[in-house]
Amino acid sequence: MLEIALKGSKKYWVWVIILLAAMAVGAGAYIDQFTHGLTITGMSRDVSWGFYIANFTYLVGVAAGGVMVAIPCYLHDYKKFHRITVLGEFLAIAALVMCLLFIVVDLGQPIRLFNVLLHPTPHSMLFWDMCVLNGYLFLNIIIGWNVLESERNQVPHPKWVTPLIYISIPFAIGIHTVTAYLYCGLPGREYWLSAILAPRFLASAFAAGPACLILLCYIVKKVSKFDPGWEAMQTLTKIICYALTTNVFFFLCEVFKAYYSNIPGDKSHFNYLFFGINGHNGMVPWMWTSIICMFIGIFLLIVPALRNNKTLLPFTCIIVIIGTWIDKSLGMISGGFVPSLLDHVTEYSPTGEELVVTLGVYATGLLVLTILYKLATTVKEEVRG
Amino acid sequence: MKKSALPCRESKPMEKENSAFKPPVTNLKRRKFLKNSFIAIGGLGTITGLAVNNVFAGEQTAASPLKDPESFADGSHLERMRVELLRALEKPVDQRKWVMVIDQQKCVGCSACTVSCNSENNLPPGVVYRPVTKVEVGKYPDVSWVFTPRPCMQCDNPPCVSGCPVNATWKREDGIVVIDYDICIGCRNCIAACPYNARTADFGDFFGLETPEIMDYETRPNFEYSKEWPRNPGSHESPIGNARKCTFCLHRVRVGMLPACVTTCLGGATSFGDYNDENSLVHELVGSGRAKRMKEELGTAPSVYYLI
Repeated sequence: MLEIALKGSKKYWVWVIILLAAMAVGAGAYIDQFTHGLTITGMSRDVSWGFYIANFTYLVGVAAGGVMVAIPCYLHDYKKFHRITVLGEFLAIAALVMCLLFIVVDLGQPIRLFNVLLHPTPHSMLFWDMCVLNGYLFLNIIIGWNVLESERNQVPHPKWVTPLIYISIPFAIGIHTVTAYLYCGLPGREYWLSAILAPRFLASAFAAGPACLILLCYIVKKVSKFDPGWEAMQTLTKIICYALTTNVFFFLCEVFKAYYSNIPGDKSHFNYLFFGINGHNGMVPWMWTSIICMFIGIFLLIVPALRNNKTLLPFTCIIVIIGTWIDKSLGMISGGFVPSLLDHVTEYSPTGEELVVTLGVYATGLLVLTILYKLATTVKEEVRG
Repeated sequence: MKKSALPCRESKPMEKENSAFKPPVTNLKRRKFLKNSFIAIGGLGTITGLAVNNVFAGEQTAASPLKDPESFADGSHLERMRVELLRALEKPVDQRKWVMVIDQQKCVGCSACTVSCNSENNLPPGVVYRPVTKVEVGKYPDVSWVFTPRPCMQCDNPPCVSGCPVNATWKREDGIVVIDYDICIGCRNCIAACPYNARTADFGDFFGLETPEIMDYETRPNFEYSKEWPRNPGSHESPIGNARKCTFCLHRVRVGMLPACVTTCLGGATSFGDYNDENSLVHELVGSGRAKRMKEELGTAPSVYYLI
């Protein structure tokens, strides 16, 4: 089936070459980081995780968000999602590839990566995160591939794939739950030490994932003859609306807890993020942008006329993606580490090199996504043609 | 647990394990006498600085001070801890329990401990094992600084250890939490997990990175875990890329030397010793009624006590 990806229009190849170029630039920056160590990043003694882990967290959400298509499709046999389910699975694959790459580029000793397998450590959440992320990745590859292949041959997918599909659903919830547990099981980090963190992660994931998927559907419709279907997208918008509202609700619960209880340790992180501490206010514009984006997103998604407006919808999705991205990546990392455990305020902002490496990782993910979507849309065009 | 050749995995008394350094004390017979004197005095009452002083005062005539460092005894706080340290080293590792006690009334906030620690472990920029934080309390004219030196707490329930995805860090039988630099992948999960900010990532920075030349002292090896760890720019050799932490100067302790911060403390504010030794200074101080542990509510059970 892969041969499909080798035949494409001029535009397709231009896009692939752009991505390859971005990957090369990113790889160059990574070689520099590999040589000089993580000192080329903006991370410090107080903020020991940065942009890489922030993006990792967000993309785990995007990958998990794919399950919002899989559940209605496979558990409820919701017919309108049948056409786009494979798109959701392929989006998850691309997101997971990026997640794993972000983990690798974040390691101080990347050569020893396989120590995670050589010295398995069940008491570490990071070990379990590795297990579920890889598990979910392989499940999606197997499921997506087989379902698409069967569609191409116009036969029902093999029977042995069905149990894998069912397993993949708890796995999707699992990847984001375990990722949240990475943060929320740490004593002393008040911003993360919250039982609601995993539910909040899932809520924001179920908004971000489908929002990305809708955007991709628009692009697919534009560049190929395959139409993912307007009704499917309308259902997705409702899912985003519920999920986004839940995310904001969970966030407000956290704000209430911190400020009504008046516990300084709990408040300090929100103070830093939304108001700045002693003039350290690098995160303030970002966080307010995030909040405003999420509220605008909710408004645009609740009002039926706005939600069902075909021209407006992509912009709504972009707003939702910006809002949830800031909330869960930059906000989550900076909020957790600043102010530090010794009450120092050390601000974090990524360096140019860090951004270039990040760009390279995103380009790699987009290339995987492009190839997979090329396969999916071509097969669907063939079948319908 | 995996097998590692790192010498920080001790299972026998240190006398047998270490060949690189010789413990400064060899006269076992005399030490036995010392021990007996301790017990005898301990039987009469608690060991006070004065009592210890007397014991050592008698010793001074026995041997030349230059040949036998133990006879430098002057009854000081430091000397008592050093003798107790040697006594503890005679026991098997699993019967020792290293504890640090920091007297905040005696700490003058000079940061000599921070400096000596940086120098002992040859720490690069951005890595500090023992910072001293200060907080202002009160209003003029009744105002004072409260200084808090913060070594690794060597917790009995270390959250950093459970966070490690590759088993590269663990708590030794004598209570010290160590990192196997050769296994650590640098994920920094332990750093996020530590509620005391006691761990730092070595990102590979050098003081001379932006200057024409990186000076010798920066690339010279440190001796953590009784092994030489040179640091060179552009190399991927550990400890660059690893998580790093205070080890109570394990490499010094196992050869009979007190941790660098303890020996440098101007005000005699930092004490160190074997908590399993009922006659030790730290045992006495922990039981003084003034001892508190940092963030006790988190259940980490630190091995560092503060006298407040």
